[in-house]
Amino acid sequence: MADAAWLNVLLFLPVAGAALLLAVPTERGNAIRGLTLVAMLAQFVIATFLYVGFDAKTPGLQFATLVPWIPAWGVAYSVGLDGYNILLVLLTAFLGPLTVAGAFTAIRKDVKLFYVMVLLIQFAMMGAFVAQDLFLFYLFWEAMMIPMFLIIGIWGGERRIYATIKFVLYTAFGSILMLAALIYLVYSVAGPGGEMSFAFTDLYQARLPLSVQIVLLSAFGLSFAIKVPLVPLHTWLPDAHVEAPTAGSVILAGILLKMGTYGFMKLGFPLFPDATHWMMPFLITLSVVSIVYGACLALVQDDIKKIIAYSSISHLGYVMLGLVSLDLIGVQGAIVQMVSHGLTAAGLFLLVGMIYERCHTRDLAAYGGLAKLLPVYAVFCMLLTLASIGLPTTSGFTGEFMVLLGAGTAGWQQYEQGSGFLLAMSAGAVSGVVLGALYMLRFAQGFLFGAAKAPHAPVVDLDVREKLILGAIIVAIFALGLFPNEPLSKTELAAQEYRLLVSTPRLPEVLR
Amino acid sequence: MNWLALAVALAPENILLAGMVVVLTIEIFAPRPRGALAIAFATVALALVAAVGLYVAGFSAEPFPGEFSTDPGSSLAKATILALTLPVLLMARDEFSKSGPFAVLLMSSLYGVCLMLSADSFLTLFLGLEMLSLPVYVLVLLAYRHSASLEAALKYLVLGGAATATFLLGVSLLYGGTATLALSGFTVAMHANDPMAAAAVVLILIAFFLKAAIVPFHAWAPDAYEGATVPVTAYMATVVKAGILLAVLRIVGEAPLPFAVVGLLAVLPLISIVWGNLAAMRQKSFRRMIAYSSIAHAGYLFYAFLGDGPGRYQAVVFYVVAYGLMNLLAFAAMPAGGEDESRDPLDAFKGLFHRDPFGASMVAIAMLSLAGIPPLPGFIAKFLIFKNVMAAGYTLYAVLGLVGSYVGIYFYLRVIQFMFMTPAEGHAEPRRTRHYAIATCLICLIPALLLALFPGAVIGGG
Repeated sequence: MADAAWLNVLLFLPVAGAALLLAVPTERGNAIRGLTLVAMLAQFVIATFLYVGFDAKTPGLQFATLVPWIPAWGVAYSVGLDGYNILLVLLTAFLGPLTVAGAFTAIRKDVKLFYVMVLLIQFAMMGAFVAQDLFLFYLFWEAMMIPMFLIIGIWGGERRIYATIKFVLYTAFGSILMLAALIYLVYSVAGPGGEMSFAFTDLYQARLPLSVQIVLLSAFGLSFAIKVPLVPLHTWLPDAHVEAPTAGSVILAGILLKMGTYGFMKLGFPLFPDATHWMMPFLITLSVVSIVYGACLALVQDDIKKIIAYSSISHLGYVMLGLVSLDLIGVQGAIVQMVSHGLTAAGLFLLVGMIYERCHTRDLAAYGGLAKLLPVYAVFCMLLTLASIGLPTTSGFTGEFMVLLGAGTAGWQQYEQGSGFLLAMSAGAVSGVVLGALYMLRFAQGFLFGAAKAPHAPVVDLDVREKLILGAIIVAIFALGLFPNEPLSKTELAAQEYRLLVSTPRLPEVLR
Repeated sequence: MNWLALAVALAPENILLAGMVVVLTIEIFAPRPRGALAIAFATVALALVAAVGLYVAGFSAEPFPGEFSTDPGSSLAKATILALTLPVLLMARDEFSKSGPFAVLLMSSLYGVCLMLSADSFLTLFLGLEMLSLPVYVLVLLAYRHSASLEAALKYLVLGGAATATFLLGVSLLYGGTATLALSGFTVAMHANDPMAAAAVVLILIAFFLKAAIVPFHAWAPDAYEGATVPVTAYMATVVKAGILLAVLRIVGEAPLPFAVVGLLAVLPLISIVWGNLAAMRQKSFRRMIAYSSIAHAGYLFYAFLGDGPGRYQAVVFYVVAYGLMNLLAFAAMPAGGEDESRDPLDAFKGLFHRDPFGASMVAIAMLSLAGIPPLPGFIAKFLIFKNVMAAGYTLYAVLGLVGSYVGIYFYLRVIQFMFMTPAEGHAEPRRTRHYAIATCLICLIPALLLALFPGAVIGGG
């Protein structure tokens, strides 16, 4: 019980921090920055302890708290750690302080409001990961939208209003459909006396007719797919990324996008396994199209942020492919790929933010030969580029390789049973790796090498703060790349459970 | 029934009456009518205490059998209305601190609401409805500054009169069909297979649609809301609307509705939701925007009637409170200072956060709650309604209503965009929020947040 309290402390720490910030006078910028950083670091420390204390051999929830909240509806405050969320919680807590530290010099307007919003979104994201009750999950899921709306809209670039409204309208549309589906789902599983439950574990028992499952999966899936984002629902992402301040991009790419894939893994597919099975060809196609189409678009961008934005679409396509492969290695790979993308994309956006603060442009053509001008910067940039491509020893390799291996294995099994679809699609997905190398190397070549040029030269190289931020990310990337076994052992039981939930038909044969 | 029992059973009404008499007397004898607002505040607060007391004690009585009865349900409804009026009175300090008529008219209108909420027959209900409406026509005109107010009041009067006529026609048909004026006759008429009873049901509902501003009977609302001063607009948007809806609740009761009535109660409100939300996007005046928003919210409220059983009662009361408090919060926190008209254009909200961070944050919370974004009370209220609609089996209506509510998100966020993201136009002085404005905001905000955090305490079983 004492252990479980720490998870609640972890969750509510940002809120407490935000409440404290309100008491700090607006002019005391440094006090505000410091306080936020302390709150985030404390959260990371707690998350590390929880991670270490998380027992890989125990199935089900750990550090769980369950308190009835709205008994009449069967809603409970139910949070806990399991193999599904443990790595994502750690990632969220890890990126928190880096986001805050990364914004120290960039955000000079309305400092207090900014850090309050960053803390609130941190709270909401953490809550969505640890929630084990659908109502609670939905609250956190929706609560993420408003801080992001403000972060992009207040501190963003030229077309920030357009970008942020687009972001909200996309997200809210998905949420509304999810809300309708959620209510319907809960009523469908209600007991004979009408007792309702929003607990995930109860909802996993739902035995709904296939047609209903398909409609509900579409509603939930649309909401998740917008967040991931899957092609063709991705058009909000480049705008949001380009206009968002660096911190906003880091939060978006680092964690917010994983909400979509996490939603599919924890809710969408396990809740409606028969519908998932029915829609499988469609889901596989969407994943692979996202991988290839995202990569192709990244190849032709002139704006550095857009390159990374489109690469995110491609990389999260791998996560989806791993999830729908229903192969143990593939699912594990999907989880690693989520964390890996969170690290590399956050790192790259921080890098772009650092150069933007110095040179005030994101136009790739404006730069060249930064390796000569900013040697330290260039080293970090090259390392992150290679991690993004998925060079062995980096986390990107572990994730992509496992996903493709899993999808390939599953595809081969299906081929032997007479269906070559997944195998062919997996082969198509491999082209994403090649395209990934192409667009990232095109970026690195133009950016770091060739004739040295940069707007507003001479530019100063990274300072200690920036080196520490990027160094931490690099260490994490290599740690996950070189020693993936330890984290994978903690997610293995959950991956097995996911596989079992999704691949076991819930309906009797006649109804399928 | 002795006099004492009568005094207890009608305690909230009696207190309001006494308050009115006191204010009128002071108006006559004392040259300085400054205390009118304070007396009104004390009166409403006392009446609130009385209503809450009756509710807690579970008091039931029938002082005028067949016409007027007090029961916990009606006491709770009265308490809701009276509680929502308190912030209105605080807000009125700017505009009406020297106006005795304002206090008297407001209290007399409240008296009408209370009467209506305890009515057992259509006769009492009609009395209450008129006592509620007539003072509001005058209230709209009270701070007469520009010709638009005159036009607005006239429009409101004419359409309000039309509603009265429709209501009376409906009631007389009902009497013809069922030979009773009791409210229970309405349920009988709903299920009767008789054209005269059906016409009565339709006419009575339309009268309430008119009063609650449901499309296509909404045309008066934007003008009246814009023409009136802020406290009066707030009163119309929250207390009056809540009173009308609670009265409908009293008429319809908890029984499931027949199919034909469901059609009427789903389609027009659905159109209201969509139309109100669409039209609100185009508004340049804050009060007009709120008017269209309240048209959409009336739609959600009538949606609540699709569900049945105790859930219907809960949903309506919860929604009325959550919606009312948040609307009042928006009005209490909107940019102050200067002439009433200069506060109104949405442009006045531009850059508000930099002039008045507290006020802007409060308006933002109110807007998000009205948009139904979790975890604010507006979301819980909306969830409760759509949950009941779906539980009653009207899945399609629920989905359409939710999609309609999605349409509304944009214009609420536009206000936030103006306050936080757009620089102020021209020269704008930074200002300090006054203490009683902060107090008014907190009076609205804190109960609303408690409601959102612990809905279980209010909803209880069911």
